Formats: sequence, structure tokens, C-alpha cells
Amino acid sequence: MPGTVRRATWDRVPAGLRSLAWLALSLSVLVIPVFDDTWVRMFFLVGLYVVLGMGLNVVVGFAGLLDLGYVAFFAAGAYMVGIWSSPVSPAVDTSLSFWLILPLALVVGAVVGVLLGMPVLPLRGDYLAIVTLGFGEIVRILVVNMTNVTNGSQGLYNIPRPDIAYREVDNVQAFYVMIVLAAFGTWFVTTRLRDSRIGRAWEAIREDEDVAGAMGINTTKYKLMAFAIGASVGALGGAIYAPFITFISPESFTLLVSINVLALVIIGGMGSTQGVVAGSLILIGIPELLQFSETRDALEQMGWARDGLNGAIHAFNTVTTADVSDLPPADEWGEKLAVYRFIVFGALLVVVMVLRPMGLFPSRRRTLEFEYPPEAEVAGGGGGS
Amino acid sequence: MPPAKLEARGLGIRFGGLAALSEISFTVAAGEIHGLIGPNGAGKTTFFNCVTGFYQPTSGELWLDSLRIDGLRTHETSAIGVSRTFQNIRLFSNMTAIENVLVGSHMHIGVGGREVAVVRRPTGHRLLDIARTLPGAPLAAIGGVVEIASAVGRPPAVRSAEREALERCRRLLESVGLRGRENAVARNLPYGDQRRLELARALATNPRLLLLDEPTAGMNPAESSNMVGLIRRVRDEFGTTVVLIEHQMRVVMGVCEQITVLDYGRKIAEGTPAEVQRDPTVIEAYLGKRASAEGGHGAP
Ligand SMILES: Nc1ncnc2c1ncn2[C@@H]1O[C@H](COP(=O)(O)OP(=O)(O)OP(=O)(O)O)[C@@H](O)[C@H]1O
Ligand SMILES: [Mg+2]
Repeated sequence: MPGTVRRATWDRVPAGLRSLAWLALSLSVLVIPVFDDTWVRMFFLVGLYVVLGMGLNVVVGFAGLLDLGYVAFFAAGAYMVGIWSSPVSPAVDTSLSFWLILPLALVVGAVVGVLLGMPVLPLRGDYLAIVTLGFGEIVRILVVNMTNVTNGSQGLYNIPRPDIAYREVDNVQAFYVMIVLAAFGTWFVTTRLRDSRIGRAWEAIREDEDVAGAMGINTTKYKLMAFAIGASVGALGGAIYAPFITFISPESFTLLVSINVLALVIIGGMGSTQGVVAGSLILIGIPELLQFSETRDALEQMGWARDGLNGAIHAFNTVTTADVSDLPPADEWGEKLAVYRFIVFGALLVVVMVLRPMGLFPSRRRTLEFEYPPEAEVAGGGGGS
Repeated sequence: MPPAKLEARGLGIRFGGLAALSEISFTVAAGEIHGLIGPNGAGKTTFFNCVTGFYQPTSGELWLDSLRIDGLRTHETSAIGVSRTFQNIRLFSNMTAIENVLVGSHMHIGVGGREVAVVRRPTGHRLLDIARTLPGAPLAAIGGVVEIASAVGRPPAVRSAEREALERCRRLLESVGLRGRENAVARNLPYGDQRRLELARALATNPRLLLLDEPTAGMNPAESSNMVGLIRRVRDEFGTTVVLIEHQMRVVMGVCEQITVLDYGRKIAEGTPAEVQRDPTVIEAYLGKRASAEGGHGAP
């Protein structure tokens, strides 16, 4: 596999150098606020999905519970902030401080995680995925219908920006810094958990739930823990997203969010932090990038490429007597790209998954799982006399 | 902890129309190495599954010393002191050897020392069982939060508990003969080593009753006599009762002090190896099976 080779190369870099490289990369995120607002906005969204991805990673990557309803927790966090601080919130008159709601949102997220986790405890694999998919939708429909709390499909608007030192934060840079801090916090918590007794229990459950039980692991408890932590992180993302966007409605919390988060976890490589970052950059960053005016401007300068490609097309037409028409002028490329960006993007995903089925930066464990598909281990394991 | 006595009283389990076990009664004395033998499909593994909570028996009772254990969940039986290995090796195959054993020590790396499992007899009604856990839920939630906080904060107590567990697991690996293989990924270990690793993992739970399901299956004679020695040593050093399912008569006769023979889910004989070997029903069960399934199996 081409992927295996590339990973080996990176692994041969001395460990010290490697962590230095990661450190440099991590610190480089601090440079971003000096860019243009559109860019900072894009990186805020990338950061938001890094947080969500790390949260879902706990459930899917660590504990192996395929959850397709992750948007429910994102929505729970966002609506906590919306309900308690939006002036149009029908149920609550006062407007609480963001910093007061934030910890509450984390707790509510965890509780929702446990509540949604309980009914699916006996389910595994595909069944779990389908039921959680349903939960995601149920939460959205609840939001639509509980008009006296959520304001229904009209949504909650004018969500106030948080105050820092009695000053309202109203620039994207501050939100960007907030999401970066949230991402580092989430990273710290989730890696600590992964490397603890809890993380080992999750891993054992993912490998073989029944045997994990026989080794004294209360699988119910640890599965609920994974749901709770994943959900809490999802709510953290939602709570920061709400005042950033200032308007939330059921439309912001569709299945697409769940799919995006899951896809970025898979593309990046399940269970790994670098993977989540890479996945978010690709999945969230690139579609945004493709509609930037900078991208359009850059493409307008590509007349030479058009001439070259047209030359090739003419030659092709002459040789094969086909009739392929000329490419559109370069100044239309940007627009076309913006319109067709999801096609371009989909193709990119396919390419990544074909070249690296285990994702871009798989955790060590995932690499193993891909190197030896489960069938291989049956050989010699035979029972009988 | 002292080894435990296991007692089956009229144990039975049905799968649809098939009575995989019926009216099984026998006692395994504390500290004994007890053989469980019988032709293929006799119900030996099913018996283990009942003792460890993988299956819920449909009739009868199982007692470990003075505790009734049938119908409990797997982690509960494990907390009480029952541990096992599997006929078709079930290691956590993508984890390393030492990690496998560490999972076995899970219960003993708890935040406040040994994890206390609340063991409740099931009522037979699922909803009722769930309802009964509700009063304990707030406490369980607090426990969960404390556990998460200590995993994230990693206070000195947790660090040292982890270190001690690691040290203990290393010694366990050493004592089953896997010294130096700590960081080998389980699935890459040779077959015999995988069986030994399963034994080490089972020992890590600190069992008072150890159930070994064909620990020498697929081993060559040298390896299996090595395993026999290991089983004896384990019983002596770790002070546990051992029940052993085994097809190789040489192993059974060599290591077991008492034997129970199953056939078609029923107990057909019991006694010392010498007694059982002479028993005509046992001989018939084995010969009958072998004659009718000629060539099907590698024979006991
Ligand atoms: N979960 C199950 N569902 C249906 N039937 C089962 C189940 N588990 C076991 N059985 C049946 O119960 C009988 C006893 O099986 P068991 O695995 O206990 O035999 P065994 O004595 O361990 O045999 P072997 O020596 O081949 O391992 C078999 O007929 C088997 O098909
Ligand atoms: Mg069996």
C-alpha cells in the first residue's frame, strides 16, 4: 500500500524532531489572526470542526461506537446559549452571560449524551448507526416543534457576543482564539483519557465487547462515559458557534453536520488528533477556499493554462475527429469552481480514500487493523479438538 | 484471596429446542484442578459461558462459595473472582501483549483501589432490573465524573497505581513465559504464545476460579506439556481453583485431580482420572462418537 510506505518514512524521523515539528505546526495556528477576516472566519470553522471531530473521535475512534447523530449534541450546546441569551428566546426573559452558560452547556451536553446513549447500549455496528441517525433527526424535529422554547423554525437571533473584560467580543479574531483554546483543551482531555485506564477499557470494548466484560470492564458504564464525553465536546462546539453566528435555527443542525464530522474523522484517520486537524482542513477548509475571491482572482491569471489546455484539446480533436469544445475563459473559472465545489470536493475525498483507506494520519492501532484485515486472524484460531 | 468452591445445582440451558445442558450438578472443591471432558458438542464451553455470565441458564443454580452467580453479567462474575480463557483465542488482537494484560487488571487500577462492583441478582424482568439501578444512578454519575477527572488530572495516586499495575503485568507475562514480548502486538504472536497471553490476561483479574477452555488446543506435545506445568504452577502460586476443558487425554490424566464427563448436555460420569477412564459409559460415549464421526476430528 502506498500509504504504509509514507507513514514509515515519517516514523523514521527522530522522535524529538517529530514532536518539534508538531509543536511548530501547532504554534503556527497563532499566526492566523493577522490574515484577512474571510480567512480567519474559514479557520474558525476549521477549528470548530476540529473540536467536533475530536469529540466524535472519543465515541467512534476510541470506543468504536458508530454515531451518526452527533449533530444532536452540537445543537444542544448551541441552543443552550441561544435559549439563555437570545432576546427573542420565548422561554427565558433574562440574558445570561456566555461564560455562565458555557459550563452549563457542557453538563447538559453530557446529560443528553447519556440519555441518548442509554437506549442504544445493546446495539452494535450498523444498528447503532441507524438508531443514532434517527436520534439526530429527532432532536432537530424537537427543535422545530418546541416553539415555545426554541422559537421553532424561525430560530433564535441576535444572540449576544460574549464579553471579555466587560467588552463585547465582536471580531472573528477573538472567536478564532476561543476555538483554538477549546481545541487545545479538548485535545488535552481526550488524549489524557485515551492514555488512561478508561481509554484502555474503550479500546478493549472496541476490540471485543464480550471479552472486555469478562475482564471486569463494566461495558455499560464505559460506553455511556464515551457518549457523555463526546456529547459534552459537541456541546462545547455548539456553545461557541451560537454567538459566533448569532443566529441559530433548526436548519443549522441537519444530518449534514453529523456526516461532515464523521467524514473528517474517517478521512483524517480514526482515533488520531492530527487526523482530525487534517480532515477538517480538507473537509471544511477546501470547500470554503474554493469560493473565496482570492481563489477566483488567482484563477483569472490562469489564461496561459487555458491556452495550453485548448491547444491540447485542438490536437485531440484533429487526431480523433472528436468535437470537444474550448474551455471557458479563465475569468469564469472561479465562479464555476464555486458552483461545482462540492463535486470537486467529492472527487478529492474519493482520491484520498482510495490512496489511503485508513485515513491520512491513522492512529497506530488503526494502521494495524488495516494491515491485517480481521479475516486473517481466524486462521489457526480454530476450535474443536 | 483464597480459591473458591464452585457448585452447579441442576443447571440447564436451552437454545430453542436444543437442551445444551440439562440437570448438571457437580462440585469443584476450592483449590482443585478439575477436568471437564466430553465429546464435541457435549456442552463444555456452554457450561463455562453460564458460569461467566455469557449465557443466562434457563434452570438451576450456580454458586461460588456462598454467592449465587448464575444470571449475573460478565463484569460482575469477573469482579466476584471468575476468570476464563477462550477455546478460539479471543485476545484484543490489535493491542500489545502488555496492554492485553493491563485490560485484565482493569478492576485493580481503580481510583480508590479495587473497584467495587454492585452485584444484584436479576429479577428476570429487564425493565425491573433497569429500574432498580436508578436510585444508584446519581452516585454512579458522581463516580464517573471522579474517574474521568482523575484520568485527566492524573494525580500521583493514579500514576503510581498505573506504574504498579504495569509492573505486576510484566511479572505476569514473565511467569507465563512471555518475557520480552511485552510490546508485541497480540495478533503477531505465535499461536502457543497467544494461549499463554490469554492465561496471563485471565490471571490479571485476580481470579479465585479460573476456567481454561482447551488451553493446549493446537499445541505440539512439547508446548502442551509446558502448559500442563504452567497450569499446576498457576494453581499453586496464584491460589485459584482451576476448571479445565481438555481433549488430550494425556493432559487430562496428567493434571486433573477430579473429572466431570459431559455428553449431550448431561453429566455421564465423574471421579478421579483413573475411575473415569475405566467407566464404561465414558468409553462408550467416546467410542460411539468417534465411530459415527470418523475422520471428522483430530480425536481426543
Ligand atoms: N449460542 C448458542 N445458540 C445455539 N446453540 C448453541 C449455542 N451455544 C452452544 N450451542 C449448542 O450447544 C451444544 C454444546 O456446545 P458447546 O460449544 O458447549 O460444546 P463443547 O462441549 O464445548 O464442544 P467442543 O468440544 O466442540 O468445543 C452444541 O450443540 C452447540 O451447537
Ligand atoms: Mg467447546
